[in-house]
Amino acid sequence: MPPSNPLPPKENALFKRILRCYEHKQYKNGLKFAKQILSSPKFAEHGETLAMKGLTLNCLGRKEEAYEYVRRGLRNDLKSPVCWHVYGLLQRSDKKYDEAIKCYRNALKWEKENIQILRDLSLLQIQMRDLEGYKDTRYQLFILRPTQRASWIGFAMSYHLLGEYEMANSILDAFRTNQMKGPYDYEHSELLLYQNMVLAESGQYDRALSHLLKFQTQILDKLAIKETCGEYYLKLERFKEAETLYEGLLKRNPENVLYYQKLIEAKRLTTPDQKVAFFDLYKADFPKAIAPRRLQLTEAECPGVFTQLVDEYLRHGLHKGIPPLHVDLRSLYEDQSKADAIEQIILQYIENLSKLGTFSNDTDEVKQPASALLWSYYFAAQHFDFKKDTDKALHYIDAAIEHTPTLIELFIVKGRIFKHAGDPVSAYQCLEEAQAMDTADRYVNSKCARYMLRAGHVKRAEDMCAKFTREGVPATENLNEMQCMWFQTEAAAAYQRLHQWGEALKKAHEVDRHFSEIMEDQFDFHSYCMRKMTLRSYVGLLRLEDVLRAHPFYFRCARVAIQVYLRLHSHPLQDAPQTSEPDTGMSY
Amino acid sequence: MNIRCARPSDLMNMQHCNLLCLPENYQMKYYFYHGLSWPQLSYVAEDEKGHIVGYVLAKMEEDGEDNRHGHITSLAVKRSHRRLGLAQKLMNQASLAMVECFQAKYVSLHVRKSNRAALNLYTNSLGFKILEIEPKYYADGEDAYSMMRDLSSFSESKENQPSDNMEIKSESAIVSQC
Repeated sequence: MPPSNPLPPKENALFKRILRCYEHKQYKNGLKFAKQILSSPKFAEHGETLAMKGLTLNCLGRKEEAYEYVRRGLRNDLKSPVCWHVYGLLQRSDKKYDEAIKCYRNALKWEKENIQILRDLSLLQIQMRDLEGYKDTRYQLFILRPTQRASWIGFAMSYHLLGEYEMANSILDAFRTNQMKGPYDYEHSELLLYQNMVLAESGQYDRALSHLLKFQTQILDKLAIKETCGEYYLKLERFKEAETLYEGLLKRNPENVLYYQKLIEAKRLTTPDQKVAFFDLYKADFPKAIAPRRLQLTEAECPGVFTQLVDEYLRHGLHKGIPPLHVDLRSLYEDQSKADAIEQIILQYIENLSKLGTFSNDTDEVKQPASALLWSYYFAAQHFDFKKDTDKALHYIDAAIEHTPTLIELFIVKGRIFKHAGDPVSAYQCLEEAQAMDTADRYVNSKCARYMLRAGHVKRAEDMCAKFTREGVPATENLNEMQCMWFQTEAAAAYQRLHQWGEALKKAHEVDRHFSEIMEDQFDFHSYCMRKMTLRSYVGLLRLEDVLRAHPFYFRCARVAIQVYLRLHSHPLQDAPQTSEPDTGMSY
Repeated sequence: MNIRCARPSDLMNMQHCNLLCLPENYQMKYYFYHGLSWPQLSYVAEDEKGHIVGYVLAKMEEDGEDNRHGHITSLAVKRSHRRLGLAQKLMNQASLAMVECFQAKYVSLHVRKSNRAALNLYTNSLGFKILEIEPKYYADGEDAYSMMRDLSSFSESKENQPSDNMEIKSESAIVSQC
């Protein structure tokens, strides 16, 4: 379609050079050519040139002028698809996506089959989750460019996202048979797995299963084949086959909790005794794996059996000195009888180890290393802390520190005991000690900073964090750049407790901006994933972004912000202009 | 503790774990880039509540057919969850996926010269060897060891190998080659 306001050949050549400069990011040159056209009085008001000049200025950071020129160009040539497209691009760069979509639609009114505009439109539509609009645009692109891979994929995906699985599957099938002629590479493999995902989401597990089995030799992701087949077999109640698969998966990764659960489902084990016996088998098969040992403790219900199993588990951990032993067992405490059994055992260990150097009073037991007593104290301290028995917890952690005064973990636990007891100052002081013992460990550094924030020492916490942030930049700046949300969330809450409303809001809004950035991050992946064919993960990304702000970090910051705004509403700051509301006499 | 392949919804929590544990940090987009380019290669360790306590973030370096190899961008286990062997298990799962899905011949990584614990894990438990020293690799000026691990044993024993077989004991000759 000819431009609505054509330039003579010489000027037209210049105009083409502006476009090329824009594509190659040679903005200064672009402006020079624009000037050459616009300086002639005949073309001073040429719409498309003005619009392109604006777009180029925008790339140089001159946003206000950019809008001026683009709008002036558009006013001079309302029927130009170029002007509308440019206006859309400008709005898009300003993140005004809804406005940009309107512009692209106007552009397409004047040039229905412009591939570039259709592509740009489809990206905005998927970004904004205008799924119906996306489907229409992908259809257009498919009709116009039926030989391109992305046309098929986008077309299929637009149906998939609307839940029209049959149509999505048919398109993918046609594409696979007509367009994908080998080699059976990674992309081909990913495409097959994506098609399989579509079938599974349609609820037709038998069909999905036969599809997967038919193509399994062409799929490289062996793990995905097995995990997915296992799911299907269970859904289809083909338990024997499911069993074989999950047994194979466990050999690959004996630390995957889900595999054990699925295998139990496949074997249709229901009673605790059956499950305990089941885990005995896998403990023998995988002597180094933790999962079967730990899961067995959850399933064991008979007190005698549990006591014997947990005794074995604890001895192993305390002998080896595994610091996370208590963290690992904590969830067993939901069952009071299990918590009691653990308490009895650990106290018995401490008594025996201090007197005899062994866990039991059995004379045959080999002497334990001296550290076994230390780790038993450490465990007991955490045990009583969990039970909110601060005195006993402190007693045992102090015994541990006396035993070995150089172990960082002990000071971390002592800090936690103080924190739980409502003494944030002693808590952070313990963490300061821990931190001083290993200044190269960022985990301890972060914990220490967090405890400082809980105690209201924001500046001190920033200085602590600064030991691991880039030199020459304030710590808070670097933490913000790296989207360090734990710090910003804790700082927002700390400022709120300190009644520093402005600072609290500042931190909360920094976190909100991270979430906006993460929404923006999607943009590049809309086209990237279609090239890479990693479509399953791409759909995963879209679904994550759909609920992104449900993340606990966002939730906590939003709560701080809401509370602060409500506080400021009911108690405006003193220097704020007085409202006509009468004083209710309420004070905080 | 549960070890499984990372999903897109894990990536934010991996970033959180990274920021708690390590001095080298990345913006979310870089995690997305990994998760959406090589979804099979990153693994997480999670506790019973589903909190990430360790992760490996990995990618492929695609410089030529003959030199296809994986690269460990970042590996972290929270200090509170050390000594469970999580790092080693995460690394082995990622390495197997590199071989299966991308025909990786070896896997490479960088480690701070001062990080003795990590160096010990890589050489003694995982069979990495030091290739060279990269001076001033890190932003703070510290040198890095550039290391690699041959993955041919993974491709031979691809199917149904218990992960125990992938372990390389500390007696291994590899240590003396450094």
